[in-house]
Parts: sequence; C-alpha cells; structure tokens
Amino acid sequence: MSCDLSVTPAQTAAWRKQIFEQLSERTKREMDNFRHYEQSVWVKKGTM
Amino acid sequence: MADDKDVLRDVWYGRIPTCFTLNQDEVTEREAEPYYLLLPRVSYLTLVTDKVKKHFLKVMKAEDVEEMWFEYEGTPLKWHYPIGVLFDLHASNTILPWSITVHFKNFPDRDLLHCPSNSVIEAHFMSSIKEADALKHKSQVVNDMQKKDHKQLWMGLQNDKFDQFWAMNRKLMEYPTEEGGFRYIPFRIYQTMSDRPFIQKLFRPVSPEGSAHTLGDLLKEMYPAAIPNEGEQKRYQVVIHGIEPLLETPLQWLSEHLSHPDNFLHICVIPTPTD
Repeated sequence: MSCDLSVTPAQTAAWRKQIFEQLSERTKREMDNFRHYEQSVWVKKGTM
Repeated sequence: MADDKDVLRDVWYGRIPTCFTLNQDEVTEREAEPYYLLLPRVSYLTLVTDKVKKHFLKVMKAEDVEEMWFEYEGTPLKWHYPIGVLFDLHASNTILPWSITVHFKNFPDRDLLHCPSNSVIEAHFMSSIKEADALKHKSQVVNDMQKKDHKQLWMGLQNDKFDQFWAMNRKLMEYPTEEGGFRYIPFRIYQTMSDRPFIQKLFRPVSPEGSAHTLGDLLKEMYPAAIPNEGEQKRYQVVIHGIEPLLETPLQWLSEHLSHPDNFLHICVIPTPTD
C-alpha cells in the first residue's frame, strides 16, 4: 500500500502547538500550586 | 518548539493533587486528618496509596479494617483504570485538589475488582500491554520479548522510572515506515453517562486511500455526538491526559505519544461545563 500521509506544515504546527501549550497549562494548573504535597509512595521491591 | 520526546515526559510526570479523607462512617479511635498526595496520572490508585492506608490505619482498630477502596462523589473509583482517566472522567473542571473519600468497609463488589496485592495490578497491566500489541503488531513484539523485558516495563511503572520504561516501550511503538502506522490503534473511549464501560473497536491509523486518520475521524465513527455540527455549540469535551487535542491531530501520533504505559490511548468524552 502506498501512503499519502502528507499534511501541510501549517496544519502540523497547529495541532502540535496546541498539545504543547495545553500540557504546559496543565502542569501550571495541576502541579505548580501543589508542589508541597507529598509524592506518592514508590515501592522499591522486587528484582529485575 | 519543544521536542516530541518532551510530550512523553510530560505525560509520564503528570500529577494530580489529591486530598484523601476518611469516610465519616468508619469507626476511628480519634479524628482522622486528611492526607494530601500528588498522584501520578499514568499509575493506578492501589499502586501508589500505601501511605494513605498507613495514615488512616493509625487511627483505626485492626478489626474495623477491611479492603481499602476509594470513592469520588458517590462513584466508586475503579483501580484498574489509570488515575488520570478516573480524574478526567469524573472530576474534570472541578476545583483542585481532587477530593477522594477512603473506605475500609462495605467493599462494592458489583462496581470494583478486588486488589489484594500489587501482583494483581501487574497482571492487569501486562494483560493490557499484550492486548495492545495484539492490535498493533499481531503480538509479534511482546512475544519476542523475554520475561525480564516484561518485568522492565512493569518495574519502570511501579518505580516511576521513565528511562527504564521507555528503553523497552519504544519497541512496542515501532512500525514499518511503508505502512504509516500500527495495524490497529489500541484505544478506549470512556463516557460518564453510560452503562457501557468504554468503546473499543478495530480502527486503523491510515485510510484505505492512504491518508492519515485523525482523532476527528475516530470520533466520527465511534462517537459522532462528540463532534459539534457546524455553527453548533460544543456539547462535549474530548480529553486525553487532561488536555483537549485538536480533532485534526493524527491518531498514529497520538497513539505513540499520548498512550498510557499500558499502550492504550484512553479518551474521555465528558459534557462541556455549562457555567
């Protein structure tokens, strides 16, 4: 099967920008004001 | 602009600030203070709440303690869904921290699976990875891995080791360039107002004509109501990892970058807030 996966650079830039910006906003919203909270426990048991 | 690798890190290190409160019907010897944690979005509730359990057990008698379970506003929280999915589905658009109630009795057998140990979580996680690889590569990648490679994926998640996990997980993300993507995209679409737990069907990343399928193409086929008609107000939010990707985003890219460690792309469709 031959694939035509070409999209314009402008289209690609738009959805990528949206994702990067929203992830950055998510970090501000969900983490920045709460960094004093305890991290959940990481159970270091078991061997590789 | 940031690199695509940064997206993988952002997804992995996503945390939800959470306030755990003991259910008021539990019998305690003294008042139980709430407990505050940053919960990893990609992990599982019962895997990261040992400290919560220890905290509340300090004020309870052993005979009053049965299996711990969690509830949000009357909804029992399924530990076998990733934490981020539970939050996006039930608590998006609410004020943080996320307020979860902790129970030690009246386990809701009809709603929740029991989770007696971490090995149950491991079995569930590995079974999801195997199912995803069956869809992506007819199980060829996961079957070619050794037992220690499977363990590396699990230990990476359990111990929050991004590099350890991705050193192995990248193999599960490979595909032949000429095919333009996986065989099928492992996805699950969750909705709040349904008895059905989620929508999961076969869907290819590339159309028969060879063009890349987008998130919008997937929703059009699986959940058309999630896409607003022209001029119509948006009735639903389509949320993945707490964000709303554009419907033009290619599904193959989403699968490679916004899948959970279980290799599924978990998509929550929630009603748009009215206020």
